[in-house]
Amino acid sequence: MPAPALKIRNLRKVYRRGNVAVDDLSLTIEEGDFFGFLGPNGAGKSTTIHCVTGIATPTSGSIEVFGIDAVKQYREARRLVGLCPQEFNVDPFANARQIVDWAGGYFGLNAAQRKSRVDYLMERFELTPHLKKSFRELSGGLKRRVVLARALVHDPRLIILDEPTAGVDVELRRVLWRYLTDINSQDRRTILLTSHYLEEVERLCRDIAIVANGKIVREGSKDEIAGGPGGLEQAYLVATGAEGDHVAG
Amino acid sequence: MSQASTHAETLPKMGVNWIGLYTIVRREVQRMMRVPIQAFIAPWISALLFIFIFGSVVGGRISTIGGHRYLEFVLPGILMMNVINAAFLQSSSAIYFSRFIRFVEEMLVAPLSYFEMVVGSLSTVVLRASITGIGILLMGLGFGASTIESWPLFIFWVVSVSTIFGLAGIIIGLWSKSFEQLNMPVVFFLTPLSMIGGSFFTASMLPSWLQWLAWINPFFYFINGIRGAMIGVDETPPGLGIGLTLLLILVLGGTVWRLYARGYGLRE
Repeated sequence: MPAPALKIRNLRKVYRRGNVAVDDLSLTIEEGDFFGFLGPNGAGKSTTIHCVTGIATPTSGSIEVFGIDAVKQYREARRLVGLCPQEFNVDPFANARQIVDWAGGYFGLNAAQRKSRVDYLMERFELTPHLKKSFRELSGGLKRRVVLARALVHDPRLIILDEPTAGVDVELRRVLWRYLTDINSQDRRTILLTSHYLEEVERLCRDIAIVANGKIVREGSKDEIAGGPGGLEQAYLVATGAEGDHVAG
Repeated sequence: MSQASTHAETLPKMGVNWIGLYTIVRREVQRMMRVPIQAFIAPWISALLFIFIFGSVVGGRISTIGGHRYLEFVLPGILMMNVINAAFLQSSSAIYFSRFIRFVEEMLVAPLSYFEMVVGSLSTVVLRASITGIGILLMGLGFGASTIESWPLFIFWVVSVSTIFGLAGIIIGLWSKSFEQLNMPVVFFLTPLSMIGGSFFTASMLPSWLQWLAWINPFFYFINGIRGAMIGVDETPPGLGIGLTLLLILVLGGTVWRLYARGYGLRE
């Protein structure tokens, strides 16, 4: 049986001032899945993602990417993961081509591989007319495209998208949805998506986990979670304990 | 998609990620070339003023030191001061800026070892410090003052001292939480210690009760080391400066290694 794309066991992350961001979180995502990771702001979604990708150091617990220990064999594990972070962590003076090309270099792609891949992604995300512009000169939507292209440059098997469509226009949202659906279904890439847009999650994801206060509070297939009365939104509000506040408010 | 793709699994097994390492250097060089005035023109103008004022104007009224004109005596010190500054500023600003803007995360999520990250950063440091030093050497040539007694020793001192201050710059870049903190070492340590480290005088010119200040100052050994390589005048006991330099590289290198392994200033 193949190893799951992502297997997290009893993950705990405590920040220096004692703030528990993730508390005994366990999660398994099978290869080829399109997985929605939902939760309110500060629930622990981004921290979990940061622990998986090496931006944060887990306090305890284990993380495996396709069976590879993401802490002990971090270099091997990271080759398989592409991260599109929530915030723009980009050199603002570099241009779009440089940003994606450098990322390819970090992942060990040679010059010919990088050129082919960068050209392809620039065209796919309609960035070709903006190649020479510095990142800070780009609009919010174009910035988001560059960060997406950077995450995909090494064609990772596990793609982690942390609110990739936050603040972007309908056009890009549709380009991105089409692209993600293609690579998930045709190339069997595993995708972990966090989003506050429930309709986006409902449209794209097959499985869903809802996290609140650092713990998984609901997990299952989309049909199972969104199939009840009130759909995904109701399930989300109940799971996160926001329903009472919502009604009261 | 599949035609243009390069699947991660088809990449070679992880030994040294040479392409990743080269990319770190390439990227830092491109970043450095975005600010040529700050990186090269400023230290060269500063060195030119030092050479002109201390070497030509003031130096014309000073008798020879160790059989050399004053300009020949001060040139190695001026060169070393600028090598130190270039090395420190390159690494400290690169690491701090990448933390401040958070694009250091691009490297953290990539299959790069700590060793590759540090070596990549230091390679650029040595490159910038060497270009700065060569420029000053050429200026000295214009004033008829550049001589090199030993090229191997000259290269040793430029490379090893820039490595030391590159490592120190990484530590400060990781520690700093503001631009104010980033600049503190230059103001309180680098400039004063290089000024009193024998750039413009020999230890024997100091009052005897103050000479200890030179002997406990590591900059004194660096400046004397390169002066020995350039004009053959070195006040320090043979081998002491080289030993101290190698020891500092080991200590600072070990410290940087530990900080990277802990993720200090880098990881959440």
